[in-house]
Amino acid sequence: MSDRGTAGTATPAPRRVVVTGLGAVSGLGLGAREFVDAIRAGRSGIAPAEQFDTTGFERTLAGEVQGFKAEEHLRRIHPSRWGRSAQLAAAAARQAAEDAGLTEAGPAALRAASCFGTTNGESQVLEQLTAQWVGEGLGLLSPDLVEQADAGRIAAAVNAELGLTGEALTLGTACAAGNYAVGYGYDLIRTGEADVVLCGGADASNRATHAGFHRLGALAEDVPRPFDEHRDGIVTAEGGAALLLEPLESALARGARIYAEVLGYGMTCDAHHMTNPYAASIAECIRRAHRSAGIAPGDVDYVCAHGTGTPANDSTEVAAVREAFGGTVPPISSVKSMLGHTMGAAAAFGAVVCCAALSEGFLPASTTVRVVDPALGADVDCVPHRAREHRPRVVENHGFAFGGNNAVTIFGEFAA
Amino acid sequence: MTAPVLMETTETPVGAETVVAPVDVVACAAFSAAGAGLAPLAAVADGRLPAGTEAGALPGDPAAYPPAQAVLPVSGFRPEEVLGRKGLSRLTRTEQLAAAACTLALEGPAGPAASDTGIVLGTSVGSARALAEFTRDTFVQERPYYVNPSQFPGTLMNAAAGRTAIRHGLTGVNATVSGGPLAALHAVRYARGALLNGHADRLLTGAVEELSAHTAWAWRRSGALAPGVPLGEGAAVFALQRAGSYGTGQRPVARLLACETGFANPSEGLAHVGRRLAACVRTALRRSGVAPEEVTVVAPGAAGRRGWSAVEDRALREVFGTSPRTLRVQPVLGETHSAGAGLQLAAVLATWRTPATERDVALITSIGPDGSVGCLVAVRPGA
Repeated sequence: MSDRGTAGTATPAPRRVVVTGLGAVSGLGLGAREFVDAIRAGRSGIAPAEQFDTTGFERTLAGEVQGFKAEEHLRRIHPSRWGRSAQLAAAAARQAAEDAGLTEAGPAALRAASCFGTTNGESQVLEQLTAQWVGEGLGLLSPDLVEQADAGRIAAAVNAELGLTGEALTLGTACAAGNYAVGYGYDLIRTGEADVVLCGGADASNRATHAGFHRLGALAEDVPRPFDEHRDGIVTAEGGAALLLEPLESALARGARIYAEVLGYGMTCDAHHMTNPYAASIAECIRRAHRSAGIAPGDVDYVCAHGTGTPANDSTEVAAVREAFGGTVPPISSVKSMLGHTMGAAAAFGAVVCCAALSEGFLPASTTVRVVDPALGADVDCVPHRAREHRPRVVENHGFAFGGNNAVTIFGEFAA
Repeated sequence: MTAPVLMETTETPVGAETVVAPVDVVACAAFSAAGAGLAPLAAVADGRLPAGTEAGALPGDPAAYPPAQAVLPVSGFRPEEVLGRKGLSRLTRTEQLAAAACTLALEGPAGPAASDTGIVLGTSVGSARALAEFTRDTFVQERPYYVNPSQFPGTLMNAAAGRTAIRHGLTGVNATVSGGPLAALHAVRYARGALLNGHADRLLTGAVEELSAHTAWAWRRSGALAPGVPLGEGAAVFALQRAGSYGTGQRPVARLLACETGFANPSEGLAHVGRRLAACVRTALRRSGVAPEEVTVVAPGAAGRRGWSAVEDRALREVFGTSPRTLRVQPVLGETHSAGAGLQLAAVLATWRTPATERDVALITSIGPDGSVGCLVAVRPGA
């Protein structure tokens, strides 16, 4: 490819991008600290679903956010005017901003943006509207619900909650969307388009998503068991995850704690099949991410897998890693073993875990694996059962989606 | 006490603001109530549909639409002519409109490789009808999971972009953005960044909205349509490449300069949102190196929305004083929600099919009920 990134007008030198705030509203706790502690301890966030009526479903477990009282987490937006996905996003973003110490009217950073990924948008709102259609007819749709239906309101809620006046972008690239959002935020900071970015992902537990995966036979009987020889599927889950990105220079100037540096990212599209993953395209996505980050495969100390726990995903993902890494596979684990599949938030939760792994020195476990699938290769280290004390320097975060959307982000330790 | 805020609102230009690099529209396709393609959209500037435009067929059951609601389906949409018949009935209308528009926008001179070609599509919720029908099955079937598995992918927002990529083997960046009336502006801004940051060499960029009884009733119930404006649908897709990255013999359809988006919380007052739009326009013009008096046409986005049209008009007066010539697509094509900004741009480009004799600069603006604002600066290519 010719003249990449150099077309036209002179651009200022790219800025280094760091993560200085984390937020997580999850089945593993209502804050990033609680979430990371639970991940390190290997706890499970999976329990009987309560966000929708499970009558008639054979699979009734989900990784839901328990005890989330939106009004306790949101200070500027009123929960009654926003769907659950927007609430989860805004609550996680507020946590990330507070964590970064940027809630007070801040330093010279005057352009703050948000970008959030989602799979199903305001799925609970759409579900309620459908229930009204079925029960009472289209003529009685609730205007209040209609106003809350657009997925684009997820990023808008973040801006409204935090008083941001910059861009508010919602990405609908399904279960890779969290990584799309982190990557876009990285580009905004790197190129000087924004000085602070809240990025992440959000989705709400809902009936239609659960039914869809149920019908595909993709739901696990009890818990998801990524990398297990008898893994039998995902558990649907929900949550909001957020990262605050800023230029390294401003983080240093204000003495902020730096969790990690965003080194780069890559995206590809399978253009192959709507629901089956495709190893060649994932391998190319990993290579693009490495190129973007300026690293070699051997630099990667840990892979935070997409790791859904379906037979197809895990074998395809390991094959792709093997291809991109020249035959070897770095330690690779799936936090979905604890969290379930949080859809559009999944890769954002993965990014939060990656930042914690780099700054605290651990590798999260694949907690539910019993016998590692020998078909994946005898050398696969999926960090079974228990988190490992280890200080990675470069980690890689995977997000793949229906529709063939792949995105891989790379994070590095920041040594002052 | 008010909660602490992250950032003070400011309209002061900040130091890092740079002049943007241009991205060119090398091809474009549109479907609207005016028909297929750009040419019929030229009549929109005269405030009408082209003479003899056949009325489009209403998608779904016509009897299910709200009575006395004026609707404007896409005219002359024959997806089988563009996409073939195979598998067509399994696609949602959103997928059909998007795939057909992308397919037409790919025609013309051979462009960059498929691995460096991608798709960036704007939407609101994807196919509202597919979502509603799929979810209805969870309520009315014997078991809640007795849904049609082949319909499941079509309920996702990224279905149209994913299916279109499969059809053409496009393995480059594939993104879907959601943003109501701003959707196409979000898509253009995302695509601009992806092209200039080296993630892709050509991006089929645009937005789509389908008409259905579900969305028609949603609009009726919310009362959000401006009086006298019909409800519409459509798609517009622009093949974007970095300026200078394609053959010199190829004349672009338009050159896109700054595309800016921002936000202001409407609960702090609609005037606040209007001021944010004005600031956004000023930033975009500065970053484009364009003075307000150089803008020759404005295509506003909120002309079909009750309450918001006045907010947008006030913002434009704030920037321009006496507003330049205004091209309102909504009274002619209907309110097309997430296809809106795409059709605004397409309607401008329809009037630019011959080389500019004088400098011609268009401004596309948009304002969403959630407080999102955005604009795009486009320049007519010279001879």
